[in-house]
Amino acid sequence: MSELPDMSVDIGGLVLKNPVITASGTFGYGNELEPLLNPSSLGAIIVKGLSLKPIPGNPPPRIVETPCGLLNSIGLANIGVNAFIKEKLPALQKISAPIIANIYGHTVREYAEIARIIENTERIAALEVNISCPNVEKGGMSFGTDAYTAATVTERVKNNTTKPVIVKLTPNVTDISIIAMAVESAGAQAVSVTNTLLGMAIDVSTRRPKLSNTVGGLSGPAIKPIALYLVNKVAAAVKIPVIGLGGIMDYKDALEFLIVGASAIQVGTGTFVNPRAAVEVAHGLYDYCLREKIYNINQITGSLKKGE
Amino acid sequence: MFQEITYINFNRQIAHNIWLMGFCSNDLASFAKPGQFLMVHLIGTQKDPLLARPFSIHSVQDNDNLLILYKTVGKGTSLLSLLKEGDPISVIGPLGKGFPLPEKNQRPLLVAGGMGIAPLFFLTQSLINLYQHEIKMFLGFSTSQETILLNELTDLGIDLSLATDDGSLGTKGMVTDLLDQYLDQESNKIPLIYACGPVDMLKRISLKAISLNLRCYVSLESHMACGLGLCQGCAVKVNNIDKPYYYVCQDGPVFLAEMIDWEAL
Repeated sequence: MSELPDMSVDIGGLVLKNPVITASGTFGYGNELEPLLNPSSLGAIIVKGLSLKPIPGNPPPRIVETPCGLLNSIGLANIGVNAFIKEKLPALQKISAPIIANIYGHTVREYAEIARIIENTERIAALEVNISCPNVEKGGMSFGTDAYTAATVTERVKNNTTKPVIVKLTPNVTDISIIAMAVESAGAQAVSVTNTLLGMAIDVSTRRPKLSNTVGGLSGPAIKPIALYLVNKVAAAVKIPVIGLGGIMDYKDALEFLIVGASAIQVGTGTFVNPRAAVEVAHGLYDYCLREKIYNINQITGSLKKGE
Repeated sequence: MFQEITYINFNRQIAHNIWLMGFCSNDLASFAKPGQFLMVHLIGTQKDPLLARPFSIHSVQDNDNLLILYKTVGKGTSLLSLLKEGDPISVIGPLGKGFPLPEKNQRPLLVAGGMGIAPLFFLTQSLINLYQHEIKMFLGFSTSQETILLNELTDLGIDLSLATDDGSLGTKGMVTDLLDQYLDQESNKIPLIYACGPVDMLKRISLKAISLNLRCYVSLESHMACGLGLCQGCAVKVNNIDKPYYYVCQDGPVFLAEMIDWEAL
């Protein structure tokens, strides 16, 4: 009898049955797609980013499609962490996949407060800290663009939680590895690489931006080469696991991220294109390992060979 | 809600830049309600266009044939128009909330501007049995070349009033003028308005309906990444302090006119 591949991965103490995770903001509050798929077949589910207070989001237009990409400025619209725990989390009880809460604040104190609120919620297995949002105490500069601030946020969240802390890094920096090392030193157990790239789209007939917010975050296949480069770079700089994301549409895209050093991957915009994308990536990776006689998915991580 | 790869029964041009496509799906057809929509995705487009596009359900025929009506406006719809009978296509639906039906003492008034006729045609099909001689429909098109479905609606026995911007067919002017004239007349049945079309038209109809204290449902269009309530891209500003944005895909696409913040739209 042939051995079956072990698809499980360990992300800072959180063991996932497979390395496929849904990206924050692309899988709702976790159960919206139940009519189309079984969320339990995923490694983990990262829910929509949660803030301390509800946030209505930006005026429309919030999204625009660009070649092979999606530019969005949703404005982090969400119902707030307390409403999530009270109204949305109970519906996720029958999903066996771990639930990871993506959190963000406008001040360091807000991040810490959300972590404290979630600490007593058993159903939430880990935190993913979004440090790409504007820091109102520092003139709106993103927390994630400064190593010191990024480390401070990480440390303050760590102080208020016993759950694994994943920090989601922004690509809109000069050297992402410096930020990655800073959050690692501050106690982060994993990093997600990468959040969206800042971008614009213009309507030439009106000379106005196509997004009401002028600037948005670019995602989708258009950013995959950049995301791969950043994952490769971060994986070389830190010892903690790297979760790769950016334009993953199928299992071959996922393999590219694993090969350059990711221990797990997230499917984001791919879910908008095909709601079953993440589930299909998980199946595709399993079939690939079976076919290639790879008995442990971790063998693929960081297996990049030198260029000829 | 279903996600299916289905096959095209026909895809034909019916007017300048306007196409009618039919595809087979028993599940989708049996659950589809007027006002609901589908996310339609081309197969094998090499990621550009990347996303599916929302289309109103235009009609259901023979229990398993779904129709969409579309105008070729960009790359996605141009590629859609190239598809032939037997080609596969990816469809998710039925999505969103449809049109609520009229009550007994109400007379359904349907107002379509241009491609706004797409979901209203399906509505006429479901209303026709209950309200045979009661349905009144106002149609507005830019020109006679883009005027569609007149014969089909006449065959259903619907009382039609037509306006075109250039006067090449029907009354010259705006469809909203025809509606205003009609509403200013005496009537023993309370009109219930269903409207779909350009935002300016919907705004004018809504403000008129609100001023006359008439119930009016509008079907809104929006860019959408998913159509499933995941992306929150299709926000529309509403008159609700606690929840200032509703989502066209989940809360709509059909909204009560007074819910919408028309100043913000």
